[in-house]
Amino acid sequence: MSELHSATLVPAFEPEYSLAVLGVYLGGDAYGFPLASVHEILVPPPLTEVPRASSEVMGVITVRGQIVTVIDLMKVLCLEDCDKPPYGRILLVNNGSELIGVAVDSVIQVYRLHSGQVEYASSMSADLADYVVGIGRVGNADSNHRDDMLILIDPVSLLGA
Amino acid sequence: MTDPRDNVQQEFLAEAQELIEALSRDLLALDEAHQEGARVDHALVNEVFRSVHTLKGIAGMFGYKHVGTVAHALEDLLDGLRLGRISISQSLLDVLFGSIERFQRLLALENPSSTEEEAGVRAYVDTLRAVSLPQEAQPGDPLETYAIDSDVLSVLTEYEEHRLRACIREGLGLYRLRAAFELTAMDDSIEALREAAQSDAEIITYLPSIDGGDEDSIELIVLLASRVPMSQLQLRFGSSYGTVESIPLRARLPTARPERSPTEITAAQNRPNPVADDEDSPPESLRSVANTVRVDIGKLDHLMNVVGELALVRSSVNRVIDRLKGEAHHRQSVMELDRLGRGFERHLAELRTGILDVRMVPLGQVFNKLARIVRQAAREHDKKVRLVVAGANTEVDKLIVEELTDPLMHLVRNAIDHGIESPSVRERAQKNVEGILALNAYQKGSNVVIEVEDDGSGMSPYKLRDTAFQRGLLSEEAAHELTRQEMLNLVFLPGLTTRSEITDLSGRGVGMDVVKTNIQGLGGTVTIASEAGIGTKVVVTLPITLAIIRTLLVEVAARVFALPITSVREAVPFEPGQVRKMQGRDVVTLRGETLAVCDLAHLFGFRSANAERGRFVVVGSLGNRELGFVVDSLHGQQDVIIKSLGPSLSTVKGFAGATDLGDQRVALVLDAPALFNEYFDGPDTRMAEAVS
Repeated sequence: MSELHSATLVPAFEPEYSLAVLGVYLGGDAYGFPLASVHEILVPPPLTEVPRASSEVMGVITVRGQIVTVIDLMKVLCLEDCDKPPYGRILLVNNGSELIGVAVDSVIQVYRLHSGQVEYASSMSADLADYVVGIGRVGNADSNHRDDMLILIDPVSLLGA
Repeated sequence: MTDPRDNVQQEFLAEAQELIEALSRDLLALDEAHQEGARVDHALVNEVFRSVHTLKGIAGMFGYKHVGTVAHALEDLLDGLRLGRISISQSLLDVLFGSIERFQRLLALENPSSTEEEAGVRAYVDTLRAVSLPQEAQPGDPLETYAIDSDVLSVLTEYEEHRLRACIREGLGLYRLRAAFELTAMDDSIEALREAAQSDAEIITYLPSIDGGDEDSIELIVLLASRVPMSQLQLRFGSSYGTVESIPLRARLPTARPERSPTEITAAQNRPNPVADDEDSPPESLRSVANTVRVDIGKLDHLMNVVGELALVRSSVNRVIDRLKGEAHHRQSVMELDRLGRGFERHLAELRTGILDVRMVPLGQVFNKLARIVRQAAREHDKKVRLVVAGANTEVDKLIVEELTDPLMHLVRNAIDHGIESPSVRERAQKNVEGILALNAYQKGSNVVIEVEDDGSGMSPYKLRDTAFQRGLLSEEAAHELTRQEMLNLVFLPGLTTRSEITDLSGRGVGMDVVKTNIQGLGGTVTIASEAGIGTKVVVTLPITLAIIRTLLVEVAARVFALPITSVREAVPFEPGQVRKMQGRDVVTLRGETLAVCDLAHLFGFRSANAERGRFVVVGSLGNRELGFVVDSLHGQQDVIIKSLGPSLSTVKGFAGATDLGDQRVALVLDAPALFNEYFDGPDTRMAEAVS
């Protein structure tokens, strides 16, 4: 687990580095999680909702006897209006203090991004949330097709301390 | 994930803690012996010495400079005690006890060589040095009264020489036993001899003799000191070991002692590391240490998870077997698989109990700490207190033991400060001047009961009531309606203290309510009984393990919740028509008593679909308060392993954790004390809104 500890995207996105990213679909968009932060991909087990928890918490599941909080990434990203197909997978992601479950529609594949393929949020004019680190262009560099873009997520800000 | 250095550090702290606890235990034993006027048990002094020496060693290795310094000074003092240069006294014991506090404090430091502690450490070391100044030597060397061969004397270690002198001074006779030992089993045989001798003789030393013995055996000359006459010793050892002869008294003083000149002795006393002296006496404690293993509780939790995983695998295998059952040509194999599966399940259950068992530690660990506090508190207050401990072997989950120390410490301090009277008062009341504080622990079903009882002044229920009234904690009407027990229970109210002066021990009025909160946090209960003039008894009841709790499974709006059975009194059918409003709260009448009820579906913001169907009220009781939780149905009782919710849900109140119901479904475990507090006194308005 020790390599996961430093699995935040930010230091890894330095030039010269190529980064392994797990691409997932959620509500029609493609998102990327640093592969090192993804612990496991689960077929969703029965979910138990937690009353009084904040709205992005979908509930808790048990993974090998451990209780894991599952979050709704759509709510985190404030994309509530999208039509939601049933979640197909749960990613177990290390957010620095615990393993949390992130519900996604499906898993695409692992991409290796070179520094040239990553555009950082800090260099973009758009006002982006903390957990969006930037955009990864996985297809043709000039293409603006949404399937060719990964929204890169920083797992440390997801319910992290 | 942790830094390996941290692990090593943890390892050191754990070992140091163990050594300090052993030290504390041994010092208490020494203290007790001293109080009773018994002679100093030299084996015990050696034990203490060894603990301190080990501590010094490991402290040096891990850079705990101050711990090392204190241990070193302490070692010098103990060495003096061991060699009879210093004699034991009350003040000496006080200084020794001080070391435990000092060590604890130094170990708690973030920076082990912090300069802030330096002054304190130096002052303590000076105190140690001051009490370890050797006393004047006694005139006349008793060794000279016996005709011991000079070649024997010359090989005695300083410690052996001291024991020899001490034995002669006590008037014990000296004997020489010649015995042959098998070379291969020599250590065991000597240990056996030592044990056989223990009751009436002390083995000073043993040396190989020059003549006796053959290839497989060796003849030893054992130097014995004993009070019993020669003939009895001959009977006891003569047959199995060899010949016993008496060492004659010397007719006249020899002109000079050739063995050691006085300067040599001083030099020997100043040796920095005298531990080598006793290496030839195999210490019993080392053996017991080798039989125990220190385990990080996280590793046990992990093992428990693996067991859970195995159970899942097992149920998957069962499903496969069920599928195969339909096919006729597999019948033989299916039967065999079934049988194997049952065996597997049995062993899995054993493994589970085994792991839970490992988490258990004896309550004696806490009691030892309390014994030190009793001693200290009694001395600070000039009270005479005798601590009587029963059931120190009772085992409780390690996590509970950790959490138990503070509340019990409060109870013990309360008993000494408020309960047990000063000797003069006790004398006037025709009580034994020495007060008795009893700690009694025993197992009762799946609970452990700990009683803290004193024979002190007790509490007056009326005085408690009046104080509560004066402090505005109680209305006048309410005060009149209280039963005797209810008045006593007022002691658990925050902000109530009957003692007007505040001491450094207790009596700040925060004691008992904190005790109660802490114990309830562990899923336990506290009750109190007291008789003015006779004494007070506080009974703490705790679950044996935190990991597994018995729960009542209830269903609320199609969701299953677990309610710890310790806070459930009963469950009764609920008729919505019975609900009345009283001060904005829903209440029902149950057997003539008014019971506040709260609908869990409302509380948790669920839309309860079946408000019309037969529902239930689960009556929870906590301390003196009762609250009915309205639920849709009951699913029976189940033992569950409670798991904490992750840090991301730590702000969500009302749940003690969650549990895997076995089929991968999770049930949240309700935190009854939190719900009670929220309902009755919580500033949290969510509950009030939901209920009104």
